[in-house]
Amino acid sequence: MSDVTDLSEVIAGTVQLRARHLTRHFTTRTPGRGFNVKHIVRAVDDVSVDLVAGEVVAVVGESGSGKSVLARMLARIVRPTAGDLILRGTQIPRKAKRSLAYASQVQLVLQDPFSSMNPVHKMRHNLVRPLLIHGAKREDVEALAEAALTRVSLEPPSRFLDRYPHELSGGQLQRVSIARALCVEPRVLLADEPISMLDVSVRLGVLNLLRGLCDNDDLAILYITHDIASARYIADEVIVMYAGQVVEHSRGTVLVDEPTHPYTQLLIASVPDPADPTSVGAPTAEQVQMVIAEKGCRFNPRCPFVMDRCRVEEPPEFIVGENHTSRCWLHADKPQFEVEVALPQRRGGGEITKT
Amino acid sequence: MKKSRFPRSPKVILGLCIVGFFLLLTIFGPLLAPFSPDNTSFAPLLTPSAHHWFGTTSLGQDIFSQTLVGARATIVVALVAGLVATMLSMVVGISAGYIGGYTDDGLSLMSNVFLAIPGLPLLIVIDSYLPVNSRSNTLVIGLIISLTGWAWGARVIRAQTMSLRNRDFVEASRIIGEKRHRVMFFEVAPNLLPILASSLLFTLLYSIGAYVTLAYIGLTSTSVWNWGTMLFWAQNNNAPLSGEWYWFVPPGVCIALVGTGLALLNFGIDEFINPRLRAAGLSSKQRRKLGLPRRQRLGLTPVLRTKVTTPAPLATTKPVTT
Amino acid sequence: MSTESIEVSGVVTSANETSDVSVVTTPHTDQRTDGPAMGQRILDVRNFSIDYGWGEGAVRAVNNVDLHLNRSTVLGIAGESGSGKSTLVYGFTRLLRSPGVIVGGEALFNLGPSEDGTDNIIDLVTASEKELRSVRWSNISVVLQSALSALNPVLRVGTQFEQVLKTHRRDMSKADRRARTVELLALVGLNEDRLRRYPHELSGGQRQRVMIALALALDPELVIMDEPTTALDVVTQREIISKLYELRSRFGFAMIFITHDLSLLVELADEIVVMYAGAMVERASAQALYDTPRHPYTLGLLNSFPPMHGVRTELTGIPGSPPDLTDLPTGCNFHPRCPYAMDRCLKESPRLEELGEDGRSVACWLHSGDEGVVVPVELRRTGRGKREPIPMPVKEDVS
Repeated sequence: MSDVTDLSEVIAGTVQLRARHLTRHFTTRTPGRGFNVKHIVRAVDDVSVDLVAGEVVAVVGESGSGKSVLARMLARIVRPTAGDLILRGTQIPRKAKRSLAYASQVQLVLQDPFSSMNPVHKMRHNLVRPLLIHGAKREDVEALAEAALTRVSLEPPSRFLDRYPHELSGGQLQRVSIARALCVEPRVLLADEPISMLDVSVRLGVLNLLRGLCDNDDLAILYITHDIASARYIADEVIVMYAGQVVEHSRGTVLVDEPTHPYTQLLIASVPDPADPTSVGAPTAEQVQMVIAEKGCRFNPRCPFVMDRCRVEEPPEFIVGENHTSRCWLHADKPQFEVEVALPQRRGGGEITKT
Repeated sequence: MKKSRFPRSPKVILGLCIVGFFLLLTIFGPLLAPFSPDNTSFAPLLTPSAHHWFGTTSLGQDIFSQTLVGARATIVVALVAGLVATMLSMVVGISAGYIGGYTDDGLSLMSNVFLAIPGLPLLIVIDSYLPVNSRSNTLVIGLIISLTGWAWGARVIRAQTMSLRNRDFVEASRIIGEKRHRVMFFEVAPNLLPILASSLLFTLLYSIGAYVTLAYIGLTSTSVWNWGTMLFWAQNNNAPLSGEWYWFVPPGVCIALVGTGLALLNFGIDEFINPRLRAAGLSSKQRRKLGLPRRQRLGLTPVLRTKVTTPAPLATTKPVTT
Repeated sequence: MSTESIEVSGVVTSANETSDVSVVTTPHTDQRTDGPAMGQRILDVRNFSIDYGWGEGAVRAVNNVDLHLNRSTVLGIAGESGSGKSTLVYGFTRLLRSPGVIVGGEALFNLGPSEDGTDNIIDLVTASEKELRSVRWSNISVVLQSALSALNPVLRVGTQFEQVLKTHRRDMSKADRRARTVELLALVGLNEDRLRRYPHELSGGQRQRVMIALALALDPELVIMDEPTTALDVVTQREIISKLYELRSRFGFAMIFITHDLSLLVELADEIVVMYAGAMVERASAQALYDTPRHPYTLGLLNSFPPMHGVRTELTGIPGSPPDLTDLPTGCNFHPRCPYAMDRCLKESPRLEELGEDGRSVACWLHSGDEGVVVPVELRRTGRGKREPIPMPVKEDVS
C-alpha cells in the first residue's frame, strides 16, 4: 500500500528501474570421467534495460534465451552474478536481501494462471494479503480489494472475491494475478509471458489491460514473450534476446518492420502469417534446439549469414539506426553502442526509500 | 477447496463407524460400566454370563467394566500422543522441506536419529526415569510416546513440502512480500492437509500400540485402567495358558478394532487425495444398470446409447452442478 | 465366403461373417462433393455426441458434430478451451478417458479396398477391442500434445520404436526394425545417435519429432495431431510444421490437426472447422475461412491475432471468455459475446447449415436467409480481402 504521504508523483517518461550489465551464471556439475565436470551456463549476459513510467518494454526470445531469469533478477528473487540495479535513482546493493520496500515498488506476474493461485484459498485471500502486508488498514481491505478487481475489469468484484481458483477461467485468473500485483501499488510491473497459457480470444483483453495500465496509470511495464507479434502490438521498446544476450534492440516497431539481426529475421519468418501461405515451405534454420556456440557469436551455428569472424569473435552491439542496435558482425561498419556507465549518487545506507 | 464429498465408499463408512463408536466409548465408557473395575467382590474367573458379559478376573473384577473404563485412558493417551507427534512432524517437516540448507540438514539428521533409535527400548528407558507418580499421568505418557512417533511423519511431510515449494503460488506469495513463516504455514501447509491427516491416523495407530505395550510390560501405573493393563494382569495370572480367553480377548479385540477403523479411514483419505481411485461417482450396480462396463478400460471409451435417439436439445441451460 | 455388395454412392458395404472387421451399411444421405481434394472419403463422423459424466450431472462436451475427411487431405480443427475439439477426436478414436462417454453417433473409417475391390468400412464406435487394436497405429495414429508425457521416460528412444514395430509387425527381423527406425528418424530430421537417448535428454522439438516418427512408423492413412506445437517455441514450431507439410506431401496420409492457434491452420490445412462450446460453428476451406469468415466467432478469432504489418491500432478481439459447459447460455452458445446477436439468437440455437458457396457451412442465424436479417458487411465479403484485421463492432465486456 503506497505511503499516503508519498509526495512525488510518477512522472511519465522518468526511469523507474534501471538495470546495467546484469549477468547471471549457473554452475552445473555433470558426471564426467572420474570427477564431476563443471559447466557454466551463462543464462543472462550483460543485459541493460531501462523501465520507464508509461512505457512497455517487450523482451522477446525463445525458451532458454534468459528472459525469465532476467525478469526474476529485476524482481530480485534471483540474485545477479554481476551488474547493478537502480530503483528510482537509488542503487540497490547486490548483497542486500530483497526488502519489503522493493517488493512494494516492483512486482512480478507469472506465466501460468492456474498454478499461480493457491488452490485452497479464495481470491479474496490473494488480494487481502498483499494489502495487509504493505500497510493497509484492516477495515479498508475489502473496499481496496474490490477496487483492484475493478481495475482489471473483473466486475462485479463481489462475484469474484469468494471464488476458488478452479472456479475461474484462465483469463480471469490472470487478471486476478495482475490485480494482486497492483494491490501493492508498484511502480514497475514485470509480466513473464502473461498470455501464453490463455485462450486466444482472451489474450487481447489481457494485453489491452496491460497497455491501459501503462497509459492511464503510468506504470512501467516489462512484457516478456516468445510471440513477437504481441510484442509489436503493445511495446514502446522491443528487445530481442538470444542465449542470454541482447541481440537487437529498438524503439517502437522498428526492429519488427526492419529486422537487422539474422535471429530476429528468423523469429519473424517463423510467425505464421496467414496472409502469405507460401511461407510454409520456406527454408528454416537447420538446427532444432538452441545451440549456443562456445566461441564467437552465440548464434553462429544457426546463422545463414555466418562469416569466419563470427565463429571466433563475439560481436558487440552496433548502432544501426536511431535508437536501434544490433549485435552482429554484418554491421561492423557502424559505430559501437555503449551503455552509459555513470551511476547516480547513493542515498543514505543504500536502503530504498519511497521518496 | 472443493466441497468435501461425503465418502461413499463402504470401507470409509465402516471405518468412521468403528472409530466413532470408540470415541463415544471414551466419553461415556465409565458411565456405562455396570460396576467399578476395581471392585473385587465378585466370584473370580467366571466365564461370560448375563450378569458379567465378559466374565471376571482372578481377583473377581468385572471384565466388561474394565473394558469400558479402560477405553478412556487408552484412547486419550493415543490422541494426545498422536496429535503432539503430528504437530511436531509438521513443524519439523515443513521447516526442513521449505527452508532447506543447513536447517534441513540439521532437522533431517535429528529425525533420522529418532527413526533409527528403536522406539520401544527408548520408551522404556525414558519411562524408567520418570518419577513414579507421573507414570499415572496420561498426559506425560502421551508426550513421551509422541517423542518416538514423530520422525516418520516428518520425513514424509518434508518430501511433500519440497515438491510444493517450487510451485508458482508459493513463489507468488514470496513475490508479494509474505514472510517466510507465513508462507510455510498458511500457503504450503493447507495443501498438505491430506498428508497430515494420513500421518495423524498412522501416528494414532502407532501410539495405541506403544501405550498398550508399555502398559503390558508394566511400566505404567496400574491405578489407571486401560486395555494394556488388563492384558498385563491377564498375562501375570497365566490367563492364556489357563484358557481364560475372556480376560484377554476383549481388550485385544478392542485394540484391533480401533486399529482397523483407523486404517480404513486412511484408505478413505487416499481416495480423497487421488480422485482417480474414486469410483467416478457411480457404484458398480449403477454402472451395470446404465449398460456401462464394470470398470473403465483405457482405450475403450464406453458408448452409452440413451433411449432418446435424437440428439439432446441444444437450447437448454444446464443447472450449475459445481 | 460369399459376399453381397451394395454400392451406395461411393461407399461399398458387404456382409461378411468370417471377416475380422465388422462392416456397416451406410446410406449416404448427403451427396456432398465438397472438399478441396476430391478423393475417397476416409473418415465419416456423424451426429457425434459426447458427455462427461452420467445421469444428472452429465455435461454435454460435444454436441451432434459431423466430420468428414478425404484421403490425403488436412483437416484443421480450431477452438479454445471447452470447445470440445480434443474431446471429439479422442472420442471417435475411443481414446477418451473416464468420465467421457459417447452418447450418440457413428465414426466410419474406411480401411481401404479389400481383396474383392470393395471397401472395408469400420464403425469405430461399435468396434470391438480387437478391431480397434488392429486399426490403431497401423491405420490411425496419434501425436499427442506433450511428448514428454507421451514418451516412456524410462525407455530409450530406440526401444520405444522397437516396441511399436515388434507389436504390430511380428514378421520383421531385429535388423529390419533397426533399419526402419533409423529411416523414420531420418524422415523427421533426427540423427541416428538419438536412438540411444532418453526422452528427457532431448529438447522439446526433438521429442515432438520422435513422436511424429513413431506415429508414422506403420504408414498409417490418418494421423491425428493434438496441438503438437503448443508447448514449443515459435521457431521450433515453424520447423515442425514445415516438416509435417513435407512428410504429408511425400507419404500422402490424411491429417487432422487440432489447435487453438487458427493462424497455423490457415497455412497447413485444406479445410478448417471451428468449434465452440462443443458444437461446430463454421466449416470452410482454409483460405476461404481466413479471407471471408462467415461466423462472428471466426471473425473475432481472426481479429485476435495482432498483425505483423501495418499501423498499430487497438484490437478488441472477443469480449468475455469461453463458456462453462455446465452453464451454457440459452439459444446460441456464442450470443453473450456476439456483437451481432439478435432476438432469435437468445432463444434458438442455430444448426450447421450449408451456404450456397462451395463446401461452406455455418451455424449462425445471420445466414439463415430470413427476411429482415441483414448480414453485416464483414461477414459477407467475397474474394481475397485486405490483410488487415476486419473490424467488427465493439461489444462491452461481459466478464
